[in-house]
Amino acid sequence: MKRIVLTAMLLAMVVGCESPGIFPMPASRERPAVNLPLEMRQRNWQGAQGQGSCTWATMVSLLRWQGRYYTADWVRRSCGDGEWPGDMAERLDQAHVRYAYVTNGDVRFLEWACRTRRGCGITVKGGQHMVALVHLDAKWAALLDNNAVEKYIWVPRETLIAEWKASYGWAIAPIYTPAAPLPQ
Amino acid sequence: MNKLLLCVLCVLALFAAVVPCFADTVNGVLAEERVVNLPNDQGKWYISVVGNASDARYIEVLGWFDSKPSLAKLKDQVHFCPVTSDTAIYTERYASNVKGLPTVRMQRADGTVVYEAAGKDIPMTAGGLNGALAAAVNEARGLRPILPWRRDADNRLNNLERPKPQPQPQPDPEPQPIDDGGTPDLEPEVGLLGWIAAPLCCLSLLAGLGLGYGKKLIAKLKEKLTPTAK
Repeated sequence: MKRIVLTAMLLAMVVGCESPGIFPMPASRERPAVNLPLEMRQRNWQGAQGQGSCTWATMVSLLRWQGRYYTADWVRRSCGDGEWPGDMAERLDQAHVRYAYVTNGDVRFLEWACRTRRGCGITVKGGQHMVALVHLDAKWAALLDNNAVEKYIWVPRETLIAEWKASYGWAIAPIYTPAAPLPQ
Repeated sequence: MNKLLLCVLCVLALFAAVVPCFADTVNGVLAEERVVNLPNDQGKWYISVVGNASDARYIEVLGWFDSKPSLAKLKDQVHFCPVTSDTAIYTERYASNVKGLPTVRMQRADGTVVYEAAGKDIPMTAGGLNGALAAAVNEARGLRPILPWRRDADNRLNNLERPKPQPQPQPDPEPQPIDDGGTPDLEPEVGLLGWIAAPLCCLSLLAGLGLGYGKKLIAKLKEKLTPTAK
């Protein structure tokens, strides 16, 4: 009987081990963490079917930030119009682009993307639009909208998360080397 | 009965641990997703090699990070950023803070510059750059590298002799690995002596205990054999 009790205690210890979210502060003190030069921010464009290409425009900006200029150019030339998560993933797979995405509104993905200074595309406006999330800390989030690339949009963290979760919670990030932080 | 209880507990634990890994609810629908390991590399250091794309010296220095094994290894351990002067990244993030071209810069994850050399200050050879980077990392960690000719310097100085450098070909110093946590690890490897010393210590301990017990045993035997006054 002792063995059973001991085993149960051990199992209980293991089962209850879901780690709490790690505080998502980016390593660099630069704000926003993904501080794209204006020239590298891709504006939205009209695709072959006359639709906006916000998902692809966001991807182009993030690829440039991660030093993948040729891939970014390929995306700009070859892709366009609105996209669904599955179709976009298929397209990126065909082009051998390294990326990760979620469609379940898991905030840990956003935290990871900003903590590692890669940034990610996130859905807003009920899923009708995608923008780049370029910063996320305990209080604030910064967005780069491909329809108005001149300025970052700062919003409270909780507001951004609520908006994203109400917009199907789709986020996508290329996985390459982010630009180096500004020297301290 | 015990076995049955144990099985039930195991099955429950398995379900509790496995189910959240594979499924999540999206708008009330159970959705399965492919799980990937995202790189948790926020602590990685950065190395930027900045220069003019058509400059032979820039191309040479950049090439060292592929051709020189120790630099290639270092390249894999950091975020490696080749930057050419015709890009927006250069204009906005390097032009105002580099002293010249080409530049090699190593930074901590928070942006702190650990090593930077520009133009003629960049070592002439790949080995030289490797050594400079390794020294900079050691310094950043608070370690002061001891040059080969300085190892016996204290002894010599005690004998009022001046240290005499004796240049000899030395193996390339390895830049320390920088893991995902970003903390460089320069701990000396446990050599053969270390591996031999550990079992020897154990054996000595056992021998000591054995001898101690043996002495006690002999003493007890002597006590038994010796007639005692009652």
